[in-house]
Amino acid sequence: MEARPAAQALVRGRIVLAAFLCAACFALVSARLVEVMVFADPAAISSLAERARASRADLVDRNGVLIARDLPVSDLYASPAAFWDIGEAARQLSEITGADEARLKSTFAAKRNYVLVQRGLTPDKRDAAMRLGLPGLSFEEDHKRYYPSGRIVSHAVGQVDADDKGVSGLELGLDERIQKGGGAPVALSFDMRVQYVLEHEIAEAAKEFQTKAAGGIVLNIHTGEVMALASLPDYEPNLRTLEPGDSTRNRMTQDVYELGSIFKIFAFAEALEEKTITLDEPIPVGKPLRLGRFQIHDFEKHGEDISAAMVFAESSNIGTAQIALRSGPRRQQPFLQSLGLFEALKTELPEMASPLTPRRWEMVEAVTISYGHGISVNPLGFAAAAASIVNGGTRVHPTFLKQDTPQQGTRVISEETSRTMRELLRLVVTDGTGTKADAPGYRVGGKTGTAEKPSNGSYSRHQLISSFVGVFPIDDPQYLVFVMMDEPRGNKSSFGFATGGWTAAPAAGRIIARVAPLLGVKRSEIEINDTIAAANP
Amino acid sequence: MIRTLNIAFIALTGLVCLGLYHIAEEARVTSADLRTTERSIQFESDAITVLGAEWAKVTQPARIQALASRHLDLSDAPAVELSSLTQLPPKNPPLVPEGAFRNANTVVPAPQAVPTPAETPTDAVFAALKTGT
Repeated sequence: MEARPAAQALVRGRIVLAAFLCAACFALVSARLVEVMVFADPAAISSLAERARASRADLVDRNGVLIARDLPVSDLYASPAAFWDIGEAARQLSEITGADEARLKSTFAAKRNYVLVQRGLTPDKRDAAMRLGLPGLSFEEDHKRYYPSGRIVSHAVGQVDADDKGVSGLELGLDERIQKGGGAPVALSFDMRVQYVLEHEIAEAAKEFQTKAAGGIVLNIHTGEVMALASLPDYEPNLRTLEPGDSTRNRMTQDVYELGSIFKIFAFAEALEEKTITLDEPIPVGKPLRLGRFQIHDFEKHGEDISAAMVFAESSNIGTAQIALRSGPRRQQPFLQSLGLFEALKTELPEMASPLTPRRWEMVEAVTISYGHGISVNPLGFAAAAASIVNGGTRVHPTFLKQDTPQQGTRVISEETSRTMRELLRLVVTDGTGTKADAPGYRVGGKTGTAEKPSNGSYSRHQLISSFVGVFPIDDPQYLVFVMMDEPRGNKSSFGFATGGWTAAPAAGRIIARVAPLLGVKRSEIEINDTIAAANP
Repeated sequence: MIRTLNIAFIALTGLVCLGLYHIAEEARVTSADLRTTERSIQFESDAITVLGAEWAKVTQPARIQALASRHLDLSDAPAVELSSLTQLPPKNPPLVPEGAFRNANTVVPAPQAVPTPAETPTDAVFAALKTGT
């Protein structure tokens, strides 16, 4: 009888243990349920989200137009041992994938375990291959970067390597953002419509004047956004190889040039800011200016005395040199430095050349630099500095990312000087060397430039860098257009001239006439009516 | 009493086991469905990705311009031939006041003297715009 309570206690203990185990099991199941239903991230479970994270983000232009995208592709492999009929399998796979049938037959017959059939299959071809129902097929998922616009904007956008990592251009400069941005598209500053117009007109002009190279930039002078950037010769990024005549060199950022007379913009801005000139004062330009052992000439005669404003409009080196002498090298140097012309631009684009400045900066250097010789800058650096002069006088830093607000840069010149400079630029187009850049209704202002290229220790008279920088609409400037041609050849239409006013200026005018409506720039009806009246006397 | 409770608990345990099995089976089927759906979404998503790229390729301005110049009888108009809404002529005033139609006794008045379109300065501009230079 004594053993009974002990047995009962044992049973009770077992029951308690079983109850405890059951409760623990239910608690575990409940905890797991709560974890799955409440705390687990559904995206983490989905393989789709994983795939999205694995590929590079799209690059789009400012309006959402696709510039670069990772396309899902598959590499198709086969195990020939599993095929019933090697010849028939090779024929079917060749038909669908485009692989060479003879190669497939021979590799299948070699009885290898694993044979690559075709790389980079698009999803529809992959689906078609799966529908064949052949045994022994396997797919390896991959991505391939695709650039729908091809050559257009190739230099700025750049490329990726076989591992889908950026190796040049914005693909490299924005690599981290593109790879780790969670798949959200990266909006660039480009407007693909403007980019196309720029490329097209530059290519036409390059063909017309048989240039060695050419390029152009469209820049928003308030936000610093690069709306378009073209550099010719270009290349086809989808080919992953260069064709004869192609070049991956971005001449707008990677190369530095002595740009010639378009640098007079800075000489005049400095003189106006320092009040060393008045626009109506006469400047003697009748005779070459002797400076030590150097003699400064003009491209063409302008008479004895012309006003300072016409020195700018007619692009007189002799007149500009005298104006530069008034400021001197000690003031010129910090002024150009304040415009960012002494350092490589810091943008999202990694390929950016540093300017070349003279080691000693005396009177002779101050004079030659005033008309754009003796200092070499890259075109984008020049465009940014010129934008700072005309946008009201605040420093602009170019960017390749879409911006919503204007930059609040440091002041480099007063608003009054900036306004006067705009008037001078307009004078160049109405009465000076840049008349061919006019686009009726869009109030274009600008400056021509023609620089002789350095060659064998001196300058070559027949190898020119011809350029034009235009700003529109000049009374409320929004955009800057820069066009440059490397070694243009004069032709019948330019009466043999290869200067900026005859080669780059007309191209800039055509570009402005085409892009202004796209950019929402309203035409001046007064100017249009004047044009109509002049055309219908 | 204890026996009844034991039987009840065993029955309950059996029911719970059945329920658990049912849920596990449902979860397995749902999981298989999910995988199928995900594969289908993945395929559609890939197709959309490819189609998006294809759309960007076929709508690029260079192609549109080439097609337009090949198939359309259009030419680039000089800027002076373009106009804006503000340069359009004003709408002609109605010949009869609007309220007059509602009154059956009203005799239609003589048309008011309105300048013909070609006489208005804006229209002259518009005409000039249309002819171009």
